[in-house]
Amino acid sequence: MSGEGQCLLELKNFSVEYGGIEPPVKAVDDLNIRLHKNDTLGIIGESGCGKSSMALGVMGLLDNAKVGGEVFYKGQSLQGLSEKEMRKYRWQEIALVFQNSLEVLNPVLTIGEQIGEPIKTHYSESKTAIENRVVDLMGKVGLELKWRQAYPHQLSGGMRQRVLVAMALSCEPELLIVDEPTTALDVLSKNEILKLLHKLQKEQGFAMIIISHDLSVIKKLTSRVAAMYCGRIIEKGLTSEIIKNPLHCYTRGLLNSSPNLFKYKDLWGIEGEAGSGVGTTGCAFYPRCCQHEETCQKDKPALAYVGLEHMVACHKGGIETFLRAVEIRKTHQVKDHKIIAVNDVSIEIKSGEIVALVGESGSGKSTLAQVLAGVWKADSGEAYFQKKKLEGHWATAMMGGMQIVFQDPFSATSHRLKVLDVVKEPLDIMKWGTREERDEAGKKALAAVQLPVTEAFLTRNCQALSGGQRQRLAIARALVTKPKLLIADEVTSMLDPSTQANLLRELKGLQNRHGFAMLYITHDLHLARKVADKVYVMYQGKIVEHGVSGDVFRNPEHVYTKQLLKESFSDLV
Amino acid sequence: MSKRRSLKIFEYVLTIWIIITLNFLLPRFLPGDPFLLLSSDSPDNEEIVMTQEQQDYYKSYYGLDKSMGEQYATYLNQLLHGDLGYSIYYKVPVSQLIWGRLGWTIFMVISAMVISTGIGVILGSISAWNRDQWSDKMLYFQLILISEIPVFLIGLMILIVFSAWLRLFPLSGAMTHFEDYSSWWEQLGDILSHAFLPIMVLSISQLGGMYLLVRNSMITVLSKDYLRTARAKGLTQQRIVFHHALRNALLPVVTRIFLSLGGLVGGAILVENVFAYPGLGRLMRECIKVQDYQVVQGIFLVVTILVLLANFIADRVYKKLDPRVNDNMKFQEG
Repeated sequence: MSGEGQCLLELKNFSVEYGGIEPPVKAVDDLNIRLHKNDTLGIIGESGCGKSSMALGVMGLLDNAKVGGEVFYKGQSLQGLSEKEMRKYRWQEIALVFQNSLEVLNPVLTIGEQIGEPIKTHYSESKTAIENRVVDLMGKVGLELKWRQAYPHQLSGGMRQRVLVAMALSCEPELLIVDEPTTALDVLSKNEILKLLHKLQKEQGFAMIIISHDLSVIKKLTSRVAAMYCGRIIEKGLTSEIIKNPLHCYTRGLLNSSPNLFKYKDLWGIEGEAGSGVGTTGCAFYPRCCQHEETCQKDKPALAYVGLEHMVACHKGGIETFLRAVEIRKTHQVKDHKIIAVNDVSIEIKSGEIVALVGESGSGKSTLAQVLAGVWKADSGEAYFQKKKLEGHWATAMMGGMQIVFQDPFSATSHRLKVLDVVKEPLDIMKWGTREERDEAGKKALAAVQLPVTEAFLTRNCQALSGGQRQRLAIARALVTKPKLLIADEVTSMLDPSTQANLLRELKGLQNRHGFAMLYITHDLHLARKVADKVYVMYQGKIVEHGVSGDVFRNPEHVYTKQLLKESFSDLV
Repeated sequence: MSKRRSLKIFEYVLTIWIIITLNFLLPRFLPGDPFLLLSSDSPDNEEIVMTQEQQDYYKSYYGLDKSMGEQYATYLNQLLHGDLGYSIYYKVPVSQLIWGRLGWTIFMVISAMVISTGIGVILGSISAWNRDQWSDKMLYFQLILISEIPVFLIGLMILIVFSAWLRLFPLSGAMTHFEDYSSWWEQLGDILSHAFLPIMVLSISQLGGMYLLVRNSMITVLSKDYLRTARAKGLTQQRIVFHHALRNALLPVVTRIFLSLGGLVGGAILVENVFAYPGLGRLMRECIKVQDYQVVQGIFLVVTILVLLANFIADRVYKKLDPRVNDNMKFQEG
């Protein structure tokens, strides 16, 4: 890295707008990137977020688009250069590995010719020199020489990708832009291409921009990453940091949709469709964001530092922390001796997150939950809900607050009350809306947990419900206040597996749509592994280990966690 | 490969056989009789009616009294020896007659093909480069207009304007009759000035189609990813256009050139008659008029075989130009 020195590539307020269509599409908007020698930058985002437009825009290859802002290459502005002047930069300085397709190579020219062609144009070397270079390049990317005389349609997808790499490296560029290097490749070819790119980058030391929606590619090849949405960078930072701790809902959504990052977790895509990025004055991600507020629509958020080398463009400074508990201690007095049920526990739950609290029975999980929910008062320590200190019951007695669902539905729901009355009880207590509105909200909550909303069922006494139905009723009662945080204490332990599966999927779905957070307390590690984003392991009142669920389940560090995992997963049927 | 090739050859042989057979049968189903008109120039003149005896004599002389099967066998046998029969009207061997005229038609057709292709490629490329700009719109409109006018009408108009009115070119024929040329280039000049208008008409009739094809093909190719690749590689404009774009855009044109030969020959028949050009087309018309079906048969056969040959060449050329057609993995090592 040249540090203070000159950037290899710098984009300033770079934008690309396609005007041919109505309404015009702003593919890239106010993009700022600085890239030094040897840097590797990943650009992630869904299809159509402007990744490829950026690459083509930098190379000056967009004819039907308006390219704005400035592009500097080694301090020289590339903007407004004629096609002829631009040619000096293309391939010799900046080369592109195009997204693999049959169309990207000329069907009537041989592979050898297409690889060697740029050398001929840029260096006007002798025929034999070019041939030697082509042979050399093909060797480097692992292509057998016999393919030199082959035509593109005779190659497999993996081989074509190698040709594209060889072609891009033919003039030894200082910057390589790689567009989706592995889409449509099988695992073996994919890994080989990744290894190849990694090796070549190390050997030749070119800077590299990798555009991909495949996070495993980004993870392997880049040191820094930027997430793009609607043409804007909404989060950037060190790759390892962002993959472990994304701070924008969109980035987290991308991670959650990636099958290869967390082995066991279910996949959840980001709800909704990406907009065109034109005409919206506020945050482009607003309609899909699970923590949006009216104020987000006012103006576009700018990138701001939230950590060392970690920037997020979000009005709320990234994913909100809903609950933060610091050193909570709770002692139970049993006759003569004290039992420290919760021993200086700190915990953090972010918006849209499922945090699993695991541990054996009696480790203090439920006590902690009840302290957090305000059932008991902590002996010491403090807890904050949305940055406000938790005291009394304000957080549980409001719409969009915090709710707890207890382990035992039979004692949690009064068997003398009718179903509808149980569900809307919190609303009645808060005196929310009119009676009709409360009834309506109650029915909605029941429907959400897949309970019937017929008149007969609504007027039935809770006594007449099964255990599973009562548990779902309890959850519906919690959901009726549209809580931001749901503390679910072994909510599915009394349910049969099928009901449990349905309910969990339902909760996870609701969470994905509305973005509420959940503290999911369980001793069932199979379940935790399936749903959790983060895991806290509790043992004898203490948190012994916590982290991203993928990490904890893959590489547990604490002896107890190791033991727990071993015991739990030995009973796989 | 060899299996495919032999299949291909079998296809061609089969096609030729079917054509020969049709060629044999068709005139024999035509109403009328060549001997009725044997000695009169036109049906309007007074006819010399032959006696039954004379007719029978001629029929047996030409072998027409034999059964169809026998006639067919004789016909095939003759063809194998390159004998296309004997013109009843002109009283010379058909092959000799056709040979004398073939050159003029081929000269005209090939010239028209080269000219219409050349101009079509240039205009089509210009249109495609400047797509939707005024030059493209003008070219498009004009060429569509021209290609919609029937070829004989173009022929007549051009004949009237350039020959009758402006007197720039001779009215008819391929050479000036009874002219003594002092040098070979004078003769060439004479031939060219006679051929100019017919070739022009024939070229114009083909130009519209060729232009549209090139324009379309070029537009498609210009939007291809591989052209963007070529630009990204920093290649020169020249190399992008000629090496990358045109080469791909011309693929359908090659097919079109050879396949349009049939149409060109059809057009040639009309044009030759308008300009009284002594090619096969004119000969055919003359022979149909007097029902000299030995000659008509001969012309059909020769023309069909030429068109088939053109198809065959198109196949070979296309395979050379487009590696995707030759789908067998075969390349030289190294």
